[in-house]
Amino acid sequence: MNNSFELYNARTHRIGRLACALCAVLFLGAPFLMGAVLGGKPDMAAFGRALLAVGPVWIISSVAEYLIYTPMLGAGGSYLAFITGNLINMKIPCAINARDMVGAKSGTAENEIISTLSIATSSLVTILVLALGVVLLLPLQPLLQNPALQPAFDNVVPALFGAMAYKYFRGNLKVAALPLVAMCLLFTFVPSLSSATSFMILPAGGIAIAIAYMLHKKGAKAQ
Amino acid sequence: MTILSQLNSPAMYLICGGVIAVVALICVVFMIRAYRAGLAIGMDATKMRRVIISSTTFTILPAVGILLGVIALSGALGTPLPWLRLSVIGALHYETQVAQGAAESVGLSGLNATEMTATAFSTITLVMSACIMGGILMSIFFTKRYTKRLGSSDSKSGGVAGGFGDKAMTAMFIGLVSAYVGNYVGQLVSGEGLFTFAGSWTPIAVMAVAAIAMAVFLYLAEKKQAAWVENFSIAGSMLCGMIAAVLIG
Repeated sequence: MNNSFELYNARTHRIGRLACALCAVLFLGAPFLMGAVLGGKPDMAAFGRALLAVGPVWIISSVAEYLIYTPMLGAGGSYLAFITGNLINMKIPCAINARDMVGAKSGTAENEIISTLSIATSSLVTILVLALGVVLLLPLQPLLQNPALQPAFDNVVPALFGAMAYKYFRGNLKVAALPLVAMCLLFTFVPSLSSATSFMILPAGGIAIAIAYMLHKKGAKAQ
Repeated sequence: MTILSQLNSPAMYLICGGVIAVVALICVVFMIRAYRAGLAIGMDATKMRRVIISSTTFTILPAVGILLGVIALSGALGTPLPWLRLSVIGALHYETQVAQGAAESVGLSGLNATEMTATAFSTITLVMSACIMGGILMSIFFTKRYTKRLGSSDSKSGGVAGGFGDKAMTAMFIGLVSAYVGNYVGQLVSGEGLFTFAGSWTPIAVMAVAAIAMAVFLYLAEKKQAAWVENFSIAGSMLCGMIAAVLIG
């Protein structure tokens, strides 16, 4: 890795941390500003109760997401992804798709650049589509809320994962078979786990990584 | 003035639009820096442009889906807040659940505009912001050390473990997809009672159609040398899956 890229990386961390800190202040400050405008500041006692009631699962989930996705996204990509959200249903598949399209290897300078470009583009397109959508909300509403089209938008995630499943399973059947069967059986016998699908990524990923490691080891020994 | 018209007031649009503009600016800065750094280390500009085009086409359909989330939440929370939450930091599956839970915790019977007050609204907004802060806070304090550690463990690991990083990332993604596929299968088989097969089969049919469409796109890209098709393969496959969902109804 050359010096200019090391300098780029060091600056990425500095800018990323500053951007995250700025966004944390904005995201947490906005409710107070809105409260002042509306004439009703947040009730901190009710906030504490709500945080205890709904917070733990999401706080743990966001920490788990951080640990899982940062290695996939690299530094620049992860700073941006955690600011802009929609990780599982958009940013992660988008970055992985971009990485594979150009054949970038993880941990390389190229992967860092591709991941950042991909997530920045995806975030800007989302912001643009939503801004246009909000401007056109009234004329678009009848079309988008047409009952005939609802199944299409209710199934965006299955459509995304169907496409991605083919792409990744076809070349990695040995890695995919066991976690796929295990997850199908688990969700069949314990259907209530449906609400905790994002947590089940951890054991499924763990099984897949263990198998991939065994195959990798076997391949290395054979050479 | 009703609470909903207050929530849709120009001042609310200004606050939310301002925050979104700052985040958009951050994205532009990261994008320009990455592009320039890519050129500086000798990366092919065409390759980087392909990534931008592919990421754009990839994002449009899910973004329209997210727009529906804005519409769904706008009945109870007005338009500006869902617009802000879903343009940045938020996630479609997260916002509705947390807003609902927060509404109940502040004493509303559910997420609805009829019972909403200014205090309830600002409290719900604060809960929605606070619960999803984990990723941002971890990024501020740990990303530098975490990515350095990942980098050094990659470079130290020669022999058997050498070059395993890519396979581990692909395996993790396979695990992610497996968890979602398993969920759809489980919901079909046992969603309405163990082994009743009374759940919805639409998600599985949609996945199957999207997978077949992806197979066709990859065939065209790889066997017919139509590499450009790959830029649109995900978006095109998703569109096929979503059309199938409409046809199934």
